[in-house]
Amino acid sequence: MDLSLVESVRWTATALTEVVVLALALRRKLFDRLPVFTIYLCILVANEAIIWLTYSLTGITSHTSFYVYWTMQAIQVSIRAIVVYEICQVLLSPYQGVWKLCRPFLILLAALVVAGATISTRQSAYHAAAAILTAERGLEITVIGILILGLMFCRYYGFQIERYVVWIALGLGFNSAVQVANNTFLKVGPTIADFPLWQIIRQTSFDIAMIFWVVALWKPLPARQPAPVLLAADEYDRLAPQMTLRLRELNTRLLEIWK
Amino acid sequence: MTIFVATLVFLAVLITLLWLLFGSSTNEAVLSLDALQIEKILPVNCRHFPQISQLLSQEDTQFMRKRAPHHVANKWRAERRRILKQYLNGLRQDFARLERLARVIAALSPEIRKRQEWEWFWLALQFHFSYRMAALKLALGRFSPEALAGLTEMIAGLTSELENRMALIAEHSPSRMRTDVGG
Repeated sequence: MDLSLVESVRWTATALTEVVVLALALRRKLFDRLPVFTIYLCILVANEAIIWLTYSLTGITSHTSFYVYWTMQAIQVSIRAIVVYEICQVLLSPYQGVWKLCRPFLILLAALVVAGATISTRQSAYHAAAAILTAERGLEITVIGILILGLMFCRYYGFQIERYVVWIALGLGFNSAVQVANNTFLKVGPTIADFPLWQIIRQTSFDIAMIFWVVALWKPLPARQPAPVLLAADEYDRLAPQMTLRLRELNTRLLEIWK
Repeated sequence: MTIFVATLVFLAVLITLLWLLFGSSTNEAVLSLDALQIEKILPVNCRHFPQISQLLSQEDTQFMRKRAPHHVANKWRAERRRILKQYLNGLRQDFARLERLARVIAALSPEIRKRQEWEWFWLALQFHFSYRMAALKLALGRFSPEALAGLTEMIAGLTSELENRMALIAEHSPSRMRTDVGG
């Protein structure tokens, strides 16, 4: 391989951290709570082994290495999108009504962003690097979009988010936000992407995300919360019209006051 | 320009994410029937309206205008405005409690309607905007006591209805809900 000593050390450190996170996840039996995220951690470790083997066998500048690297990137980003969907599901699905309301929005958002990314990628298809950056950015926007929308629902309805989920979500969101910004900077022009501070942020964003995941899994996971006891199906239908009517009247009155 | 916008968006996304994950919720989380204490989420400030009504009486206003020295009348008006401002703020808190209750009901319902939820969200936005404008009007000294009375009656009426409804729910599931509504 043609990596410098610093690059080799960084790569080794990243791979070791990935192994530590996976070990912690298995030890904490995270698979029972977030199976897709646990699979994602397995893929990260496998990815390092596959990339290392490819680089060793064919060289870092070979076509094979190029395709293997980007295929693995595509797999990882796609699974990250499924992971954030899984996180939203874990947070919202105990509240059946809210989950039924939220899920179509999440799917619609993902479909729109992916469609947008596909169109943009086709437009820049004549240039492989630009197409890859556009596609990757589209997938990362999907990740961050699903995450923020799901968390907004949690916030709006006042759902508690468990500590380990907070840190896992932060890691995923932070890494995706940095990747989106980086791809945008690269597309506009390499100037800002060459800033030393930005280079540090970009290169370490995934390591920072993994530190967040170590924090998430360092302590044993809390006991599972029992599913919330829901109201009878017709209570909402009985209460909602009354509340709506009153809130409407209240607003009308308030409008009359200040107008 | 694009770089500037991209940087701003990046920072906004990060701040939003941190706020969503770590920001303290303005509403106390009461999302289980076991933890639902109705007295904590029903409006309370609107119940003080009789005292406020006394403060707003026209006789007092006329008396102060005719008999009190100018500087005393001014001081009295300023004090009255301060109390009204506090009361208006209390009404806003009441509305927030009702809004919270609506969300708790929605969260604990197995089926909710998109249109209904959207309407509540929109009404809340409208209310907060109207509240700001009303507060501004009060600050400018152009607030009518009758309007405030009407507003209070509305919240009090809604409170009463909700108390009755929640008491009914509690009757159906007495072990799951703590309430002192109705004794």
